[in-house]
Amino acid sequence: MNPHRISAVIGKESREILRDPITLGVAILMPLVMLFLFGYAISLDLRKAALGVLDEDRTPASRALIEHLTSNESFYLGRFLNSAREIETVLQRNQVDLVLVIPSGLQESLLRQEHPDVQILVDGTYSTTALLAAGYAENLVSSYAAAPPEGRLRLETRIWYNPSLASANYVVPGLYAVILLAFPPLLTALGVVREKETGTIQSIFASPLTSSEFIIGKLVPYSLIALLQMLMVVAVGYLWFGVPFRGSFAFLVAAGLIYVFCTVGIGLLVSTLTRTQLSAMLLALIVTLMPSFLFSGLLFPIFTMPALLQLYSGIFPGRYFVEISRGIVLKGIGIDIALTQVTVLAVYTLAVFFLASWRLRKKVA
Amino acid sequence: MRLSSLLIKELIQFFRDRVILLLILWLYTVEVVICAYALGLDLRHLPLAVLDQDRNAASRLLVDSLTSSESFRLTGFPQDMQQAEQWLQSGRTRAVLVIPPDYAADLVRDEEPTLQLLLDGSDANTAATVRNYIMRGLIFYQAGLGLDVTPSVQPVIRIWYNPDLTYTRFMVLSMIALAALMVGVIHPAATIVREKEFGTIDQLQVTPVRISELFIAKTVPTLLMGTLSVFPSLLIVWWFDVPLRGSLLLFVLLTALFLLSAIGIGVLIAAACRTLQQALLLSFFGLFPMMFLSGTLAPIASMPSALQYLSLLSPLRYYMDVILGIFLKGNGIADLWLQALALAGIGLALYAIAAAVFHRQRT
Amino acid sequence: MGTQDSDKWIIEAEGVGRCFGHHEALSRIDLQIGRGEIFGILGPDGAGKTTLMQLLAAILDPTAGRCRVLGFDTVRDAAQVTARIGYMSQGFTLYDRLSVDENLAFSARIRSVPDALFQQRRKALLQMAGLESACRREARVLSGGMRKKLSLCTNLIHEPSLLLLDELSLGVDPVSRRDLWRMLRTFRAQGTTIVLTTPYMDEASYCDRLAFLHQGQLLAVDSPDALKERARGQVYEVVTARQEEVQQLTGEYREIVSGQWLADRFRLQLASGKAPSEPLRHKLEALGAFGPAAPDLENTFVQLTAPPTDTGSTPEQTGFESVQVDGTDAITARGISVRFGNFSALKNLSFRVAAGEVIGWLGPNGAGKTTLIRVLCGLQRPSAGEVHIAGVALRSAPMAVRARIGYMSQHFSLYPDLSVIENLVFFAGLYGLSRHKRRDAVHWVKTVVGIEGIDGRQAGDLSGALRQRLALACAIMHRPAVLFLDEPTSGVDPLARRRFWQLIQLLARAGMAVLVSTHYLEEAYYCHRLGLMNNGRLIALGTLGELRSALETPLHTADMETLFMTYMARASADEGAIT
Repeated sequence: MNPHRISAVIGKESREILRDPITLGVAILMPLVMLFLFGYAISLDLRKAALGVLDEDRTPASRALIEHLTSNESFYLGRFLNSAREIETVLQRNQVDLVLVIPSGLQESLLRQEHPDVQILVDGTYSTTALLAAGYAENLVSSYAAAPPEGRLRLETRIWYNPSLASANYVVPGLYAVILLAFPPLLTALGVVREKETGTIQSIFASPLTSSEFIIGKLVPYSLIALLQMLMVVAVGYLWFGVPFRGSFAFLVAAGLIYVFCTVGIGLLVSTLTRTQLSAMLLALIVTLMPSFLFSGLLFPIFTMPALLQLYSGIFPGRYFVEISRGIVLKGIGIDIALTQVTVLAVYTLAVFFLASWRLRKKVA
Repeated sequence: MRLSSLLIKELIQFFRDRVILLLILWLYTVEVVICAYALGLDLRHLPLAVLDQDRNAASRLLVDSLTSSESFRLTGFPQDMQQAEQWLQSGRTRAVLVIPPDYAADLVRDEEPTLQLLLDGSDANTAATVRNYIMRGLIFYQAGLGLDVTPSVQPVIRIWYNPDLTYTRFMVLSMIALAALMVGVIHPAATIVREKEFGTIDQLQVTPVRISELFIAKTVPTLLMGTLSVFPSLLIVWWFDVPLRGSLLLFVLLTALFLLSAIGIGVLIAAACRTLQQALLLSFFGLFPMMFLSGTLAPIASMPSALQYLSLLSPLRYYMDVILGIFLKGNGIADLWLQALALAGIGLALYAIAAAVFHRQRT
Repeated sequence: MGTQDSDKWIIEAEGVGRCFGHHEALSRIDLQIGRGEIFGILGPDGAGKTTLMQLLAAILDPTAGRCRVLGFDTVRDAAQVTARIGYMSQGFTLYDRLSVDENLAFSARIRSVPDALFQQRRKALLQMAGLESACRREARVLSGGMRKKLSLCTNLIHEPSLLLLDELSLGVDPVSRRDLWRMLRTFRAQGTTIVLTTPYMDEASYCDRLAFLHQGQLLAVDSPDALKERARGQVYEVVTARQEEVQQLTGEYREIVSGQWLADRFRLQLASGKAPSEPLRHKLEALGAFGPAAPDLENTFVQLTAPPTDTGSTPEQTGFESVQVDGTDAITARGISVRFGNFSALKNLSFRVAAGEVIGWLGPNGAGKTTLIRVLCGLQRPSAGEVHIAGVALRSAPMAVRARIGYMSQHFSLYPDLSVIENLVFFAGLYGLSRHKRRDAVHWVKTVVGIEGIDGRQAGDLSGALRQRLALACAIMHRPAVLFLDEPTSGVDPLARRRFWQLIQLLARAGMAVLVSTHYLEEAYYCHRLGLMNNGRLIALGTLGELRSALETPLHTADMETLFMTYMARASADEGAIT
């Protein structure tokens, strides 16, 4: 390996990227757009769900219950219903998300120290919303005017690392991993396949440059971009979304560097397997983008998946770095705890790199 | 005559492009099945560790009662607080239930023993779920002991349209919608830009073909394919026990309308781009916000209002209402006319802009 | 590995062959190329030229035989080979977003050229290529000629002992081509060995030795003069303008293996070794002054590749109907200008083209030829000026115009994933032909351009020559009044080119006006009139004779190249005087 030749490739590649406004724009803007979309749009807190009320009691007690449910951020009073027949209509037309049915006689039976039932009807079509709404409503009703819901056993909950259970704190650090798996491979793959399509790669083949020098030369600038993306996303996460940062920054950068090499390496591998930009993009879509969202543990915890698919998720490096970055950012873990994940990533990276160098033989056919 | 020629050509090309066909097939089948099996927000097998400082029959009974359901997976018994903490930190477990040393004695003395639940809040969603499950588990356990635990007003939850709240149904339907969107955007964009790259678009423009004819020819194959691939995916839907409560015809019609607006996005992208790389990157750039702002991944109502307004531009948002409404609620056109109108409006606007862009480029 | 042989031979190929799947691209090639030679490889499309170059550059392994380059085996010691050669592949091998300087520097650094040496060579090379003033510009804004020169520079920066150039002057204008050859000769003088492939016969004759490659086989290796000699005695010329009668003769007499119209004469080649038979000689002498002529490389090529296929059915026999143009000019252009921002691509062009006229458009890269054709087709709106096509104003009735024109771009724009017949039927449909008429049109056009029997093949798999014919077929199927051809013959081998021109002349005789742009100056002989363009201006328009005598010092016998260079030089001098 000759450092001069590698630096020549790096210099050329960096200039090309810096002068291509679309690629550069996507590289810089896309992660930020994603971060903001995710940070704001993927809030799993329930806010402002429309509550329909069918109050058949119409007593101070029933009004107090309604007040209790709607005096917070989660629900607002969508509309009052006059009869049970209306329930079907308002739910069907998405006018409300859930309906509280208070039977007549609520106040009386409360006075008699009985335990009256109220019904909560939830529109189950959007499961995410439905699950959250049902849970929130259940808790609110249970806590209405009475003893602790646990009964005699007192439960004292301590939530560590993210006491407010804020979605952003949980989504944003996971995003560091996802964004780095979603975009650098795509950019890298297109960068190499474009050389194949335009034919410039033939000049590279017919020069003293070796495949590993070429691969490293491509790896470095794209990894730098990816690292820049990561720092940008971490900074915005910390400054804008107020995500705490408990662990060592140096450790995050170091682990991030390995991860970035890994994802860029995957992009290079994809580019050695495909001939056209369209197929490179499709392959990248299937091996990096989709799994990075769905199988990294970002939104869907891996432990609830069937065993076979848990194994499947292990193929993609995203899940390891999601664990690392959440660990560092929220829990302040160090290398001692994350050793397994870091090792897996390092081995993964080397494997990808060697596979790519081996696939990129300096021959046209 | 000209139009039929264009159409026949597009159809031939469409079915000759194996990579694209494979992609479409993959998105409509494998991806849907994998996701339906793998992904769920209905949490099961939550990793729970128990630090039992009492170690007697009463505490074991409590543990058994809590972990007998599918909800929890017992990850072990840490020796002390320090170890419990370490397990949480390393991610070996997501929650630790601490049973105090005098738990059994307190119960017998009719005092109120305090259990501690330590939660890993880094996965906020899981943490909240664990707390709910534990609370419900405790009530259930105490009811078994014959203690009076019922709250003064008892909520009875009924989930309509999707009674067991399985995420699967939702996932299957939303993956189908996503597949339709991706195919709808990427395919026409790629085929039009390819004509630009090969120079055949110039060849077309010296013939009497009109821009509108070209658009129609580019739209129809994707529309046809997208609508037809609804039928194989109905098999998957059936396999996952998703009911079809509404009218199949209405579903197919509205799917076509949705595809039309998705294709409009693709056509617009193609009008604006010169190379395939640009078109592909831009489709990417467009697809993601649409996915997020559709209500597929998170409730729209919880988003900041600016994003809520933005989501009004995403055709996927309306289509999610359509697909979920027809399948799960049995909605008819009386309930969905607004969505249909929105889809048609977005589609037409996109085509108009694309045509304007095409015209401007020729000067 | 420095044996004595390898000192003498830079390249030694023994029985080299290469298969792609079942297709044998090259078979049993034996070749020796010595130090300091300029060695040319000549052959039609699909002959295996590029494959051979890639084998020599050690970026493709042979499937049979072995090959030693600079004394190293191209399979075992590929890295040794690639470290010592320069290889310019067919496309443009530059990085568009890098400047001229940066492209050069990149090329030097991946070959570990020391900095001081690089600076020195850079200066010399840029000067030689005339690129000094452009050294900060990005490669994508350079003209085709400049890009080729830069590509050559990037392959010379490490002063390789062997230079492999695939299709050196493809799409390059005659002026730049001269510069390229000057550079090659300079380096040859310093001992560099140069191997190149070319479709230009005139360029081939500059080489020291030539190899004829045909269908993967090496037909002959010799010096250009010796090769020309092989066809001596087979070539004759008759000075005449009676085209119908000549056409009849070529159909009648099988001994004529190929024929070619020049400006005022018909040049024909006879089957090897025989003088023309008495009846033929009589008939030819009756047409005009008849006598033997000096053979050129094309004649040898024709002789080596055996009878070409184009003597069979002549299109006249297939029911060609003349195209109706109602008395008016086919093209009238008045004061056309096109501006892109500050840049004027066309400056106030006015001219007329009559029905049945073939008008050739010549000029260096970037002179505005393609822009002109795009304006006339309605693909580009002019900033000023008016165009009438067959009597219809382009601006007011674009759709009516579109039905009367045919256009063929320099990329032979076809749908590569459609078969030949699918492409034809598709374009027929675009012109709104009914099912019945469509079938007739497809049948007619297939016989006219000679693409029968390949209906099922995909357009993307065809050789350049067949793609060219198919593209022409698609452009003339609706029998347009005016046909626009933008560099219709670039990258196509000489035989296919000649056959293509026969077709064009045939169409013109039927009344079609044909406007064609080209870089091949020899093609000017096929045109009735010539338009010379430079820097967006029309600097001369007229017949070859008119152009020759219009100069201050008329060049009555000058060949096309001299004439072209003279006009270009004069135009540049004028520009200089104005600015």
